[in-house]
Amino acid sequence: MSVAGITETVQYLTFKLSEEVFALDVAKVREILEITSITKVPQTPDFMRGVINLRGSVVPVIDMRLKFGMSATEQTVNTCIIVVEINMDGDATVLGALADSVQEVVEMDPESIEAAPHIGTRLKTDFIKGMGKVDNRFVMILDIDKVFSSDELAELG
Amino acid sequence: MGKLIMSADDSASVRQMVSFTLKQNGYDVIEAVDGLDALKKLNGQKVDMLLTDLNMPNMDGIGLIKGVRSGTINKFIPIVMLTTESNDTKKAEGKAAGATGWIVKPFKPEQLIAVVKKVLG
Amino acid sequence: MMEQAITTYREEAGELLAELETSLLDLEETPDNSDLINRVFRAMHTIKGSGAMFGFDEIAIFTHEVETVFDLVRNGKMTVTKRLLDLTLKSRDHISYLLSCQIGEKVDRSRGDEIIAGLRQLLPKPETDGKKSTNIQANNGSPHSDEELADESTWRIRFRPATNILLCGTNPLSLINELRELGSAHVVAQFDEIPQLSDLSPENCYIYWDIILTTTRGEDAIRDVFIFVEDDCEIKIELIDRSGLIDKEGDYKKLGDILVERGDLSPVEMQKVLMQQKRFGELLVEQGIVTSEKVQSALVEQQHVKGVRKERSEAPQVETAASIRVPAERLDQLINLVGEMVTVQARLSQVSLAGGDPTFIAISEEVERLTNELRDTALNIRMLPIGSTFSKFKRLVRDLSGELGKEIEMETFGAETELDKTVIEKLNDPLVHLIRNSIDHGIEMPEIRRAAGKSTIGKVHLGAEHSGDSVLITIKDDGAGLDRDAIKAKAIERGLISPTAEPADREIYAQIFAPGFSTAATVTSVSGRGVGMDVVKRGIDGLRGTIGVDSIRGRGTTITLKIPLTLAIIDSLLVRIGKDHFVLPLAAIEECIELTTADVANSHGRNLANVRGAIIPYIPLRQHFRITGQRPDIEQIVIADIHGTKVGFVVDKVVGEHQTVIKSLGKMYRNVKGVSGATILGDGTVALILDMNLLLQSVEKLEHDAV
Repeated sequence: MSVAGITETVQYLTFKLSEEVFALDVAKVREILEITSITKVPQTPDFMRGVINLRGSVVPVIDMRLKFGMSATEQTVNTCIIVVEINMDGDATVLGALADSVQEVVEMDPESIEAAPHIGTRLKTDFIKGMGKVDNRFVMILDIDKVFSSDELAELG
Repeated sequence: MGKLIMSADDSASVRQMVSFTLKQNGYDVIEAVDGLDALKKLNGQKVDMLLTDLNMPNMDGIGLIKGVRSGTINKFIPIVMLTTESNDTKKAEGKAAGATGWIVKPFKPEQLIAVVKKVLG
Repeated sequence: MMEQAITTYREEAGELLAELETSLLDLEETPDNSDLINRVFRAMHTIKGSGAMFGFDEIAIFTHEVETVFDLVRNGKMTVTKRLLDLTLKSRDHISYLLSCQIGEKVDRSRGDEIIAGLRQLLPKPETDGKKSTNIQANNGSPHSDEELADESTWRIRFRPATNILLCGTNPLSLINELRELGSAHVVAQFDEIPQLSDLSPENCYIYWDIILTTTRGEDAIRDVFIFVEDDCEIKIELIDRSGLIDKEGDYKKLGDILVERGDLSPVEMQKVLMQQKRFGELLVEQGIVTSEKVQSALVEQQHVKGVRKERSEAPQVETAASIRVPAERLDQLINLVGEMVTVQARLSQVSLAGGDPTFIAISEEVERLTNELRDTALNIRMLPIGSTFSKFKRLVRDLSGELGKEIEMETFGAETELDKTVIEKLNDPLVHLIRNSIDHGIEMPEIRRAAGKSTIGKVHLGAEHSGDSVLITIKDDGAGLDRDAIKAKAIERGLISPTAEPADREIYAQIFAPGFSTAATVTSVSGRGVGMDVVKRGIDGLRGTIGVDSIRGRGTTITLKIPLTLAIIDSLLVRIGKDHFVLPLAAIEECIELTTADVANSHGRNLANVRGAIIPYIPLRQHFRITGQRPDIEQIVIADIHGTKVGFVVDKVVGEHQTVIKSLGKMYRNVKGVSGATILGDGTVALILDMNLLLQSVEKLEHDAV
């Protein structure tokens, strides 16, 4: 049983938010940074943690845990920022997402991916492309463009 | 070192096309935007050939040709004029002033190179 | 590459069209100015010629018609009339439209045909078919693809150039080489017509040639070689042999013998020719024409002058073009790099001062000086005079006033004032709207003006001048002025001003920029919907500029735009609140004073400070931004002038001046009021750039709502 929209075997970056494992299409990932000082922009929602300096560019950083209704990310030695490039309203936008730790890159073929259930994940189903399996554990594959779409972020101001 | 050709034309796009075509074929190019500019640049600078538009502000092609032919170092270089349509009066004026030959606009790059090769040898 | 040339052509044609328009408008005022007429003609001519070359056939064909008419004007056969100018201006527009079409795309010729019909009507006599065909082949001696004669032919060619052929830049030898390329040739140069040295002019060609050419290419190919010189030279081409005729005698005779046999060549001359390996001087000597000493002397002179001339031509004489086209992205790249440079240099300064090594500090200061100069120069590159924008508006004013039945003149001042290219582009729309407003709502109809004792011709004045590190742009009209009371009433109606407040005139006028605001009784096609002014304000805000409005009822309105000179790097004040750093643009800042806990206590919870007797409100940023941590006992108030009002911003510490390279925060932070960007500090951390104007507005709103 597979999911419409996932037709090829693709590599995914797996990472953890709290104890759960998520996955992101590796093609969307630019780089992975160690956590660095984040400048908070006032009057923005909590999940918009702020901006960082990435080799001269100012890049926004989102706290995915907060976005997904979990408690705020706490800084540990494993915390890192996954820098992704997404499509926001037709423009390529670079931003960072906080993760508690980064795991490994795995390949998952379309047959092993199931559709996300409508309830039980506590996340908006839009966010999840499908459920994959790694080492017998379920992995939620995120549709990163939807997670960071402008509608989602329009809670501002 | 390739031959040095001066291209005088008030149209930047024509100059660009001419320059590119000539350089691609191994020639070096100096550009001028009108007759006066061309004469200034030719003063003390020897070129192997001059390619000039006839219709330019400040000094037109005929004036430029006369100027070059009454000079010294570039007096005998081949001069090819760029004319529009087969305007015979202008062509005759140009020849009388000392032009070596002519090309009619619009021309293709290959035609330009053929004429350049012809007059430069 | 053709792509690039086409792009350049489009840009160039665009510029020519702009120049054309200006010339035409000027021509309206001085119809006899032959210089202007020539300029118009030349612009047309160039657009036509280059157009044809790059495939814009429609443009070439259309422009030709207009050029023909202006050629007649140039020659005095037609005069410049308003109708002609109207048609020509319309032609300009049509060409602009054609320019925007892709090559090969189907174009709408109806407009063009209308214009051409109109132009034809103006011609002095019934038009003889002056339509020259634009399909001229470039028949320039490019090798003809003749019918190749299946068999070879041999030709005898006598080429006797005119004596002055060299003065036309023709090199007879290259013609001969061209002949050689047609097949196999033998060439004989004849020197017998070379006069005595005393009669000899080195600029003349006294030599003539006999060439025997065997080729499969045919007579036309041979004639083509001489295409440029056929009028000035004697060219005889005779067929002497064809391969159809087979000579059964094996080896053919020697060339020289053949010629001698034919009587073309005397044996003596043949000897001469055989010794052609030798140089001209030697030939002369042997021919007894010149003594060897004279030849030596001439050779010495030759070498000497050659040497001198060589030195001269090697001396740096290359003039660079007065100006050079650069793609805009390259400039942006440069500015980015300059920005990086500024940032790194700031770090260098920091580190050097911290280190204390005097040599290092000295070098760092030198780097700072150079970086500043580099920054200024680079930012200057993008500066263009605003004049071209102003001229565009002349056309707008002309057309619009005509449409509305008003008589309006536009004057400009300060056209040479330079601004950043992007700023000029972004100012275009707001200015258009402001001018339209002046014309539509400001300037009255001629009858009304007369009744009011004004001249029937209304004046719209556009001015630009530098002021500090900003540019002031004024749009002034001598029209009806703003109705202060109507605006105040409307503003109260919409809740923008409280009924009991006594705002200053300027503040009242500033209300016209509120969205949807309009006191116009009627909506015209030009304005009145109330949509434009707030767009104008947003445009100006986007440029970090300010708008001020002054008006006297019955006399006119003046709108002043103040725009900072550059967008990319601004001088700012670096401040700290808690452990966060912020940056405030320096231009509006006037002073910094201390704020102690005592002062705070004294003002009883109101955010007001007493500065030398004046009451200055302030915004406690720490509170506003909800920054955690202990409020220090002594804080700083940074006092700025925002749109005429003095406001203070409270911070923990003022760190110092900072050259801020502006980095955008991106779409995500678009709606955050008060933060307009970010910058990277010397130590690599990010500081946020505060927009004091928007901060003030949001605080006002908060306090309003709270009441």
